[in-house]
Amino acid sequence: MRSSPIGRTAGALFAALSFAAGLAAAQSPAVVAKEVDLAQQQQSQQAVQPLNNQPVWKEIRSGVPQITTVQGRETNILIQSQGETWRAVRVPIAFWGGLLFALTVGGLAAFYMIRGTMSTQVKPGDRVIERLTPADRYAHWLMAIVWVTLGVTGLILSLGKSVLLPLIGYTLFSWLAVLAKNLHNFIGPVLIVAVPWMIVRFIRYNGISIDDFRWFAHLRGYFKGEEYPSGKFNAGEKLVFWLVLVVLSTTLVVSGLVLVFPNFDQTRSTMQVANVVHMIAAYVAIALACVHIYLGTLGVSGTYAAMRDGYVDATWAEHHHLRWYEDVVAGRAREQFVQREAAPVAVAAARAKPA
Amino acid sequence: MARMKFLCDAERCIECNGCVTACKQEHDIPWGVNRRRVVTINDGVPGERSISVACMHCSDAPCMAVCPVDCFYRTEEGIVLHDKDLCIGCGYCFYACPFGAPQFPQAGAFGVRGKMDKCTFCAGGPEANNSDAEYKKYGRNRLAEGKLPACAEMCATKALLGGDSDVLSDIYRERVTNRAARGTPSMPPWGWDTAYGRPEAPKQPAAPPGGAKS
Repeated sequence: MRSSPIGRTAGALFAALSFAAGLAAAQSPAVVAKEVDLAQQQQSQQAVQPLNNQPVWKEIRSGVPQITTVQGRETNILIQSQGETWRAVRVPIAFWGGLLFALTVGGLAAFYMIRGTMSTQVKPGDRVIERLTPADRYAHWLMAIVWVTLGVTGLILSLGKSVLLPLIGYTLFSWLAVLAKNLHNFIGPVLIVAVPWMIVRFIRYNGISIDDFRWFAHLRGYFKGEEYPSGKFNAGEKLVFWLVLVVLSTTLVVSGLVLVFPNFDQTRSTMQVANVVHMIAAYVAIALACVHIYLGTLGVSGTYAAMRDGYVDATWAEHHHLRWYEDVVAGRAREQFVQREAAPVAVAAARAKPA
Repeated sequence: MARMKFLCDAERCIECNGCVTACKQEHDIPWGVNRRRVVTINDGVPGERSISVACMHCSDAPCMAVCPVDCFYRTEEGIVLHDKDLCIGCGYCFYACPFGAPQFPQAGAFGVRGKMDKCTFCAGGPEANNSDAEYKKYGRNRLAEGKLPACAEMCATKALLGGDSDVLSDIYRERVTNRAARGTPSMPPWGWDTAYGRPEAPKQPAAPPGGAKS
């Protein structure tokens, strides 16, 4: 069972991320020496103080594997103490993670009510630009559908007990949780393809320069309609690429694979560590993804067209991605201006604010 | 109201696995699932001890705390039971339990585990007492029949006791008192020393136990 190719790959992954620390420790000579030492202590103890099994209980609590005839996962460990640690660690993670999610959604809702959809100050023009090729958009849509499904089901599983269960009752919530668990577990592994595909398609747009730091320094301007000039992708989008996609989604895929394939006999401590990593990465990534989705749809007029049709209004590009627009004007960019009527799809004009 | 508990006397357990067999037989438990197991510490070395372990029906049960659908409940007798109709098979109780009590019929790819199964203290589940549905999901409900758990009742050396905490405490206190008071310091009235003789202190340097283990 352990010699299958997937098993070997999974094993290598664990080792690479130090998830196998528990396994390795249990097999290293040092622990066996400790076991020998405790066995000798027990022997001495019985000679001087019969009926006092203190060394035995000490050995049990140390988590050293023992002997049992019952087959199964870790049946030879009488007491695993780290389960209590895992239980305790989950509480603050779920609390702060849930709070982060609630504040993000609430903050975006409040922002929308105050500021509304941010529009460009100029009238829509006759020209459009192909911002994203179909291949870029397919990669992003696969990512978006899978990721949002995983985010929603993950939130149901982690926060549902506190939030949904009191509202909809045990039976209905159990059905919902079964659905959420199976969607999460079967759709999750799609990210093995979706994450690298997305990284390969988009990394060319996400080079970091000093301008990106300046963009963040002028973040207030972004919300006032006076954006710091950015290239094809602004620094906020680059943050989403590097942090949410490259760092956090990769972490989520690796830790998720540890959890979703219990058939490789990984130990409980391995899965506890993977679960904690998965939870922390997920809450941070979900909060950032909420902002990303808001700005890509409701938040900024005309932006969603880039993902829906691939084409954006030229005035939208001028307003939100000035450096890129200048490159298109100068012919330095891969993209070219296209007359609105000549575009292969009907491009919705970005809503303009009455000047 | 009684507070039900298990107690395993390490001085008496002889690792016969009678409790494991009794449990499997009583509840018709499928292959691969063992609600109870016996673990031996320092096997084959003088001073070895065995402990039988199953769900300990904790007062502050970790499984109950981490279950995402809240399928666990505690009876008036302090027994921790669960509702298999609500269980989604996520495995969190298995991560949290210190005793390795929660069992799953499968450990398949994509997290397919089936419904969790564990020791019920022979008290069944949420279905009607001694109904077919209860037997199929949780095994026999011996407590409803006025009997104690099958494992403890079957134990040949009475190492494993199951029942009301007060009664168990009295029995164990009496045992401990008599162990010290009767017999001589070099030869207690019963237990490991009586059966196998008093172990000698290890000679220095002592040979590693089990020989091939290291």
